[in-house]
Amino acid sequence: MDEHRLLGEPADQSRAEDQGRSEDQGRSALPVDRPGWAACAIVAVGFALCLWAYRRGGGSVSWPWAPTLDLRLSFSLDGLGALYALLATGIGVLVFAYGTQYLSLHLAHENRPARERWRFWPWMALFAGAMVGVATAQDLVLLFVFFDLTAVCSYFLIGFDRSETLTRRAALMALLVTVVSAVALLIAAVLLYVRYGTFEIPQLIDRAQSGTTTTVAGALLAVAALAKSAQIPLHFWLPKAMAAPTPVSAYLHSAAMVAAGVLVLGRVHPLLARSDAVLTGLQVVGLASIVVGGLLALGQDVLKQVLAYSTISQYGYVVVLYGIGGTTAAGAAAFYVLAHGVAKSALFMTAGAVTMATGEDRLSRLGGLAPRRPLLAISAGLAAANLAGLPLTVGFFKDELFFEAMHGAGPWMTGLAVVAAGLTLGYIGRFWILLFLGRCRTEPRPTPALLTAPVVVLGVISVVLGLVPGPFSRLAEDAGTVTAAAPVTVLPGYHATASAPNLMALGAWTLGALVLLLPGALGRVSTLVARAGDRLGPLRLYTRTLRGLFGISGALHDREVRNLRTSVAAVLVPAGVLTGWAFVVTPTVGALSVGTVRGIDWLVLPLLGLVTVATVVAAVSRARLGMVLALSVVGFALSGIYALVGAPDIALVSVLVETTITLVFLAALAGLPRDAPPTGRFLPGPEAAPHRQGRQVLAGGIAGLAAFTGVWGFLSAPTRAESIATEFIRLTPGAHGRDVVTVIITDFRGLDTLAEITVLLIAGVGVATLLRKGKLW
Amino acid sequence: MLREVARLVWGPSLVVAADLIVKGYNEVGDGFAAGVVVVLATALTYVALGASGAERALPFLRHAPKLAVGGLLLALVAGFFPLLLGEPPFSHRPGPGAHVATVGSLELFTPVLFDVGVFLLVVGVLTVMLHHLADPDSEAGTPLDEPHDAGERA
Repeated sequence: MDEHRLLGEPADQSRAEDQGRSEDQGRSALPVDRPGWAACAIVAVGFALCLWAYRRGGGSVSWPWAPTLDLRLSFSLDGLGALYALLATGIGVLVFAYGTQYLSLHLAHENRPARERWRFWPWMALFAGAMVGVATAQDLVLLFVFFDLTAVCSYFLIGFDRSETLTRRAALMALLVTVVSAVALLIAAVLLYVRYGTFEIPQLIDRAQSGTTTTVAGALLAVAALAKSAQIPLHFWLPKAMAAPTPVSAYLHSAAMVAAGVLVLGRVHPLLARSDAVLTGLQVVGLASIVVGGLLALGQDVLKQVLAYSTISQYGYVVVLYGIGGTTAAGAAAFYVLAHGVAKSALFMTAGAVTMATGEDRLSRLGGLAPRRPLLAISAGLAAANLAGLPLTVGFFKDELFFEAMHGAGPWMTGLAVVAAGLTLGYIGRFWILLFLGRCRTEPRPTPALLTAPVVVLGVISVVLGLVPGPFSRLAEDAGTVTAAAPVTVLPGYHATASAPNLMALGAWTLGALVLLLPGALGRVSTLVARAGDRLGPLRLYTRTLRGLFGISGALHDREVRNLRTSVAAVLVPAGVLTGWAFVVTPTVGALSVGTVRGIDWLVLPLLGLVTVATVVAAVSRARLGMVLALSVVGFALSGIYALVGAPDIALVSVLVETTITLVFLAALAGLPRDAPPTGRFLPGPEAAPHRQGRQVLAGGIAGLAAFTGVWGFLSAPTRAESIATEFIRLTPGAHGRDVVTVIITDFRGLDTLAEITVLLIAGVGVATLLRKGKLW
Repeated sequence: MLREVARLVWGPSLVVAADLIVKGYNEVGDGFAAGVVVVLATALTYVALGASGAERALPFLRHAPKLAVGGLLLALVAGFFPLLLGEPPFSHRPGPGAHVATVGSLELFTPVLFDVGVFLLVVGVLTVMLHHLADPDSEAGTPLDEPHDAGERA
């Protein structure tokens, strides 16, 4: 990207002036991002509250939600919930603070108005809230609701730069993949409810037995979780989602949204552990993600793409740990999520800061930034070391615990763990070296301090906790205890012995150093894997499926609404055919009877005759006015019939509505040209296509015949079951009324009325939108 | 003739509407019907005077959007206030069988408020639709006996 364009200034200005301007923009000209700071404050308060509640021993609340469905709003801040809630809000505070600057610069560069922030921060804040909801929800359906809420927020956040097609596609992809897979979670919830009679996760864990139901439900839960955590083969949405602004990636795609997937695995793990097949599946998917993600990360050129594939790989570690199961792995997984969240969000923010400063987002055009940005280089280096598991950072312990668990799972796992950690050191080392060492390809411009400060904070956290891992390990113990349903101890520490984890770490570092020293060979492998993925990968399947669905939908739509007549026929003909089919398959002997005419019927009959005549006139009339008047005669005659058969309320409303419709019709006719009806695609004239006309008569005939026989059938055999009307009539005096209809509308079925008038308001807004671009007056 | 009727009929239509709401609980009619009656009178004015003429004659029509939203809010409040008292929504006060103060045949209790909400919303929304469908901005048939500049008020 051209740096002048990035700054939104003409390209012919000199560099010095350019820099002066950008300094102005960075330091003083940027307006204060009030909604951003407000969101940041909200998340900070959330963090403080979560910490306070956790220190006091957690706690849980449970309110009835939909008692008839056994649904409860039950939340519990147990160890697992506290870990993810603290991670989401803690990282959130830093990312939001970073975002206040980033978003202002981003909008300024794209010449977009500052008020577009309002399309960003509310979603970010809602997302943070939804994450806390996912972390603490104890009811599977509630969990599903929050799970989808995060996906909806992510859709709007990824698609923030909505003017770009690729961004919109990426947002849709992330939404479709995660939301469609989340349906598996809902299906699993229903399966478990039918079998064990509860949606509450703790009760389910108590009651569930090994068996087909539990296995299927466990597999479905795993599918939803794995798609959310961008695990192979449902990983392809994450690299595309890098089209989002960097704060979104730093938050959603490092410590929050993708973490929600493994959070669900950790939450329902005792259920998954009832089935060996599910656990084996988790191991396979996790290992595939580690290897493929790591290999692809090695070959990426775009900064955020490296980090995206790294995220896929890193959550693979956690998934493998959950696949191994047991107390050691559960504690290690929890610790891993914490350490990774700290490292990855710092690296994402580094990428954003570098891109903001240089206008470049590719490793091949960057380099040598260390002397120019020493603080950022050191902090990012600490975060990278953390990710790679080097000593003196908290990441060392995450790898130590990982190695320990993998070592316990057998020699194969031991070997794979070393390869995985070696790959991680390789790609993240490459990332840092290409970015900060070597020749400087693009000079950085000054950027606000707030783009560096959060990275520094996270770098310091990485080191401090690398020396004193107590807080993280206690959190991980509590979280692991929930996951493993047994007491877990997490004891990270430096042991200068030839223990298995230490040897594995040494092996991994050697391997990583080899990868860094011999970039060519693995780079080629990475390119090959990427190419194979492009040709055969799931992304292709996704694109094809989507295209196919669009094709079907388009073809159907085209057939159905080619013109007004076909779209009316598309409703009436199937309805008529279905009614006819119902008459064919049900015994109809004696179902249709002709009653006797007496009393008030002698008044109804002439009115019905009038309706018939008017209908025929409306059908054959060539004059528009005659057609409209004939239709209104039909309406008024029907109103008269309502009045005669004892439905005065309906008669009143019917008269009023008929009058309105006639007036509106006449007003609309006044606006039409006075000559013959135009013919065209949407209004084929009767003389245009005789065979079409025949088809229309046939469609009308089918629909009319079906409606006639249907109504005749209903009237011939009135139901003998007790009608709710009796109850309404009985209750009406108690509701202080004598007019049953009004009491039903405003009292008994008030909720329906409320929904209906809301629809009316929405229709009004719709009219305003269509005719006046949403101006109501 | 039509213009004179249109001018005269709007006020009485409000009275009819009020009557429909007041007697709604005991006789035929409710808030919806009352709303449509008022809108019919408005529509007659539109047909008789043209869109800008009608909006000059009835300048308060421009508050219709507020009326619609206000009606929805009123209906929401009247429907859901029992939640605050720990009762199911649409429980009414005074409750079933309890004594209700009456003014003539108007019973003073919460469903009447709900009905008034429905009335306001129907009037508001349908007036907005009339306004848009009548399209006063590209109005060609402005009656000649009305001054043109006054149209800006609406």
